[in-house]
Amino acid sequence: MEREVLLEVKNLEVTFGERKKKYQAVKGVNFKIYKGETFGLVGESGSGKTTIGRAVMRIIKSSGGEILYKGQTINGDISGELDRKVIQEIQMIFQDPQASLNERAKVDYIVSEGLMNIEKGISEQERKERVNQALLDVGLLPEFASRFPHEFSGGQRQRIGIARSLIMKPEFIIADEPISALDVSVRAQVLNLLTRIQKERQITYLFIAHDLSVMRFITDRIAVIRKGEIVEMAETEELITHAIHPYTRALLSAIPMPDPKHERDKKLMVYDPSIHDYTTDKPFWQEIRKEHYVLANKKEAEEYKNLYKS
Amino acid sequence: MERETILEVSDLDITFELRGKRLHAIRGISLELYRGEILAIVGESGSGKSVFTKSFMGLLDKNGSVSGGKAVYYGLDDKTAVELTGIKKEKDWLKLRGHEIAMIMQDPMTSLNPLKTIGTQIMEAVLLHQKGSRAEAKKRTLQYLTDVGIQEPEKRFYQYPHEFSGGMRQRVVIAIAIACNPQILICDEPTTALDVTIQAQILELIKELRMKYKLSVILITHDLGVVANTADRVAVMYAGDVVEIGTSEDIFYDARHPYTWALLSSLPQVGIKGEDLFSIAGTPPNLYAEVKGDAFAPRNPQALKIDFVKSPPYFSVSPTHKAKTWLLDERAPKADPPPVLKIIREGGLF
Repeated sequence: MEREVLLEVKNLEVTFGERKKKYQAVKGVNFKIYKGETFGLVGESGSGKTTIGRAVMRIIKSSGGEILYKGQTINGDISGELDRKVIQEIQMIFQDPQASLNERAKVDYIVSEGLMNIEKGISEQERKERVNQALLDVGLLPEFASRFPHEFSGGQRQRIGIARSLIMKPEFIIADEPISALDVSVRAQVLNLLTRIQKERQITYLFIAHDLSVMRFITDRIAVIRKGEIVEMAETEELITHAIHPYTRALLSAIPMPDPKHERDKKLMVYDPSIHDYTTDKPFWQEIRKEHYVLANKKEAEEYKNLYKS
Repeated sequence: MERETILEVSDLDITFELRGKRLHAIRGISLELYRGEILAIVGESGSGKSVFTKSFMGLLDKNGSVSGGKAVYYGLDDKTAVELTGIKKEKDWLKLRGHEIAMIMQDPMTSLNPLKTIGTQIMEAVLLHQKGSRAEAKKRTLQYLTDVGIQEPEKRFYQYPHEFSGGMRQRVVIAIAIACNPQILICDEPTTALDVTIQAQILELIKELRMKYKLSVILITHDLGVVANTADRVAVMYAGDVVEIGTSEDIFYDARHPYTWALLSSLPQVGIKGEDLFSIAGTPPNLYAEVKGDAFAPRNPQALKIDFVKSPPYFSVSPTHKAKTWLLDERAPKADPPPVLKIIREGGLF
């Protein structure tokens, strides 16, 4: 069965700065996100994962390649009509709930700001109703609408951030490290909320994080990104149980497990990029196992194919 | 084998005065830190874990004070006991702070001075806390940089904090703490702001340095998942009290307190895809009001009647392991530990 592609990124490049000071943050990234799935983008700080998210949101301009949403190009110059559609249908949830809410505005305004911009003629009564509903949807009380962000805990603020996305009736949400700044117990609540919303409304997620243990729990497919390049991509369970690229294996070995004996025997793997000799034999994107892609050259591909043979 | 106690806390109470109201932040904690061990203190934000350790260094905010109990430090060279809670003068704190007890803060971005080279900042600590000439101090500084895993120390010595990555900055902060030549190192969420890979490396580094410099370490964190690797013993804090304490094995394989169970169950590492991750209902208690009974009872679906009336004492599970829960009383009904403990014991993760 052919699944419907919601978002496709083709050879995406993002460059900061000009001429001598040029820095290429994203180097020719390709991936597809299917409707209704949760796609994970995992990498360390500086890998370009957030930049990709922001390029899709069109907060950052791309310098090359294409971003297709429902088959239409959305980067570069686009028609006003498509622009409005994209603004409404693609929403973002940010990492830091302290920094992403306007401290001087009431929750009521924060949640409905986007709505007022898209549906200009909306009546005051309907706006209030929609805000109340959005707050209820994320497990907050409608009374909270008249309060300021500083009156809330980190977990509640993150819920306000989610309510602000939901009110737009989005089809696609980019969640950029939505739980990294939260306590463990609150983390679980926010993750459950995101999963529940997805089930109820068939929303597609692009989930950006540095922690594979969270990724394993929430995503369907994962792409591992390093220095602006995707090095490995597969379905979540496949990637975790049969990681191929040495970088992915290093990331996996770094996950802390709540098991003292296992942890004591664990050998921490540190990824050393100099193990790849790409001087003559150039790396390219290839399928090593079924639906499991890795960036490798010919010689490495042979080694990788034998990795899980025995 | 009798272990040597370096820090002993008994019945410690800390209160804050806030707009005429009293906030009871620490409610009678008793705890020992043994020489050479890594003790992890785990709790949610607001559980008082930072306030607790700040009181050992005289770093409580002005409106906070120790209102009962004491903390005694046994680490001085001449083995005399110092009652930390009795110190009033800033001058007396200066003798202890850094030199005996040093602290690493959460955010390596804000704990370094952006206007000074990192070499100067480490050397400042060396000159202040160790005898010797400037040339010797510089030699030592380079040694510390090597010890915390910073390559090309001669070059790095002259660089500024902005030229370092987050993980490297945290290494520099650790080097400064070590340069004070302390007995006790308090690490307050040392890895929360860092990537998973860097986190693993920093924890590894803390373990190495503990051996090399014979440190006793207190590791504060909100994430029970990260301490299994590092800690010898784990203390679980809730609402200003230690509700369970034991060795790593005790806590991860044989936890007894419902709150510890809840923390373990909510780890994403043990979550099953497609099912809800366990989450703790409700919010921590308001510490402005008197807490009646077991502080965790209102959030505990299996709470007993007595939990709401009388606060439980410590019940000892083994010589190394004790917990404050009525479930361990012989009259209590049998409660089954959550499935997560079995999953962990059988090593069925990942």
